[in-house]
Amino acid sequence: MTRRAWIAAAALALGGALAYLREPPWTEAVTSGLRPWEEDPPGTPFRWTFGRATFFAPAGAASMTLPLRAVFPGPGGAPVTVDVRVDDRWLATIALPDPASWVESTLPLGRRAGRRYRRVDLRVSRVVPPFMLGVMTGRVSFR
Amino acid sequence: MAARGVRWFVAAAAAAALIAYAALYGRLAADPPPIRSDGYSYYVYLPAAFIYDDPSLEALSREWYGGSFPDFTGIRRWPSTGRWVNLHPIGTAVLEAPFFVAADLLTRWSNFPRDGFSVYYQHAAALAGLAYFLAGLAILRRLLSRHFTPGVVLATLVCVTWGTNLFHYGVYDASFSHAFAFFLTCAWIALVDVWWREATPGRSAALGAVAALIVLTRHTNAIFLLVLPLFGVERWSDVGPRVRALLGRRGALALAALVGAVCVLPQLALYRFATGAFIVNAYDTHEMGFSFASPHVGAVLFSTQKGLFFWSPILLLSVAGAAVARGWTRTLTLAAVVVFALQTYLVASWAQWQYGATFGHRAFTDGLGLAAPFMASTFEWAAARRAPRYAIAIAATAAVLLSIAQMTQYWIGVLPTADTTWAQYRALFLRFR
Repeated sequence: MTRRAWIAAAALALGGALAYLREPPWTEAVTSGLRPWEEDPPGTPFRWTFGRATFFAPAGAASMTLPLRAVFPGPGGAPVTVDVRVDDRWLATIALPDPASWVESTLPLGRRAGRRYRRVDLRVSRVVPPFMLGVMTGRVSFR
Repeated sequence: MAARGVRWFVAAAAAAALIAYAALYGRLAADPPPIRSDGYSYYVYLPAAFIYDDPSLEALSREWYGGSFPDFTGIRRWPSTGRWVNLHPIGTAVLEAPFFVAADLLTRWSNFPRDGFSVYYQHAAALAGLAYFLAGLAILRRLLSRHFTPGVVLATLVCVTWGTNLFHYGVYDASFSHAFAFFLTCAWIALVDVWWREATPGRSAALGAVAALIVLTRHTNAIFLLVLPLFGVERWSDVGPRVRALLGRRGALALAALVGAVCVLPQLALYRFATGAFIVNAYDTHEMGFSFASPHVGAVLFSTQKGLFFWSPILLLSVAGAAVARGWTRTLTLAAVVVFALQTYLVASWAQWQYGATFGHRAFTDGLGLAAPFMASTFEWAAARRAPRYAIAIAATAAVLLSIAQMTQYWIGVLPTADTTWAQYRALFLRFR
């Protein structure tokens, strides 16, 4: 192969890789800032967040139901709050006044053209040391 | 045959490393993730500076941990200033930076979380370590090929890669500093070699930059800089001419020192900001230090816990090599003896002489590039003698196979990560469940 052919092949491979990675099929399984799945004694699966966490929602979903539980109160007994952003736009701020209770919020997602998945970011108002626990998130459902 | 093996060695090591890496970290939610433990604190400067726009680590700590850091990171507030001090310096992050930039661009492209720890950032940090491990091997191959036959070079490269914990730190704990430090040590020896032949301005500047990166990656690795003045000193009568040669090159040394000083400035500025002082022992926040009067030399070299020669017996060939080295390697002997003696004393005097959870003794991984020519010398010596040739070939093969087996045991969680006792070692010997 000539040098020009090598460069063309490399450019083609790079282009193909970038096209694939624009929205890889495993995007929905990507999370960040979430610990592994655990189970509450009654059989409720959950994951702890850190101060921030991210998961993906299908772009076709009109809404999502997000179960959250604080477990530990905020500073001075104040409610823990969780900011929810979708693709970097603020969507809602969810207050968790009772640390022991699950709060299930159904939030409208709207639709977005051009991508198959939407990125959902959570920001938690407090983190509990030493294990740096944010809030519990249950299984998120989409409609 | 051997020449072809040498030519393709780095590619073969790369293929083996990538296969092992895919097996270890190929799943999306790899647990543990590649950035963990010490790897976290070496890397954390990059997201802090380029995503959270705050090299002081304050913004990142607020965002992820509500204004603190998990204990495993070793990042603590300096008592007098209340600012964060990281146990680990910035050198590894500097070397990881090109990979971090690629991961950041790809993260934006894929609309993944730009948080510094999502999937592409994780792999970028680990693949950076893997890449520097391979780059170090490439430099070592070039260096050895100038002075040894292809058969000796191939045997040495195989033994250094798989007979020690180098492959482990290039793949499993690739985000730790050791693969980076191995690369820098190899680059340092190669540069010192050419600089003593001709001290061009480019070589002097490179010498300063690599010296700075060595110090910035692990401060105590400054002892490797002694290779520069000691290279070529074989006997007492060489000292005077060497001093005169150094004085004769004072311009080149000044240039190297200037470049080195510029390169370490960001670290000094960070220390000054965090603590009020330019020179800091970050371990003060952990009340850890050296006990120079009671070093654990025997344990560091021979114990079941982390003994260098217990876990990497192949390195005994490097010790023997110091006695039989000839030619170019002979000129490196005094430097190597001094550096390894100092390193052993420093490590053995350190409060955590086992270096925490490690496969083998990771403190010595950084200097394998300096140990390799001596291992090659032993192979060269043995190759010329019939009986030792077979004995050393059999012993080296056994040592490499044992090291690979034990590395696999460590990876799958059979071997303890620290404090291994003789009883445990015997009970677990070659067990994979």
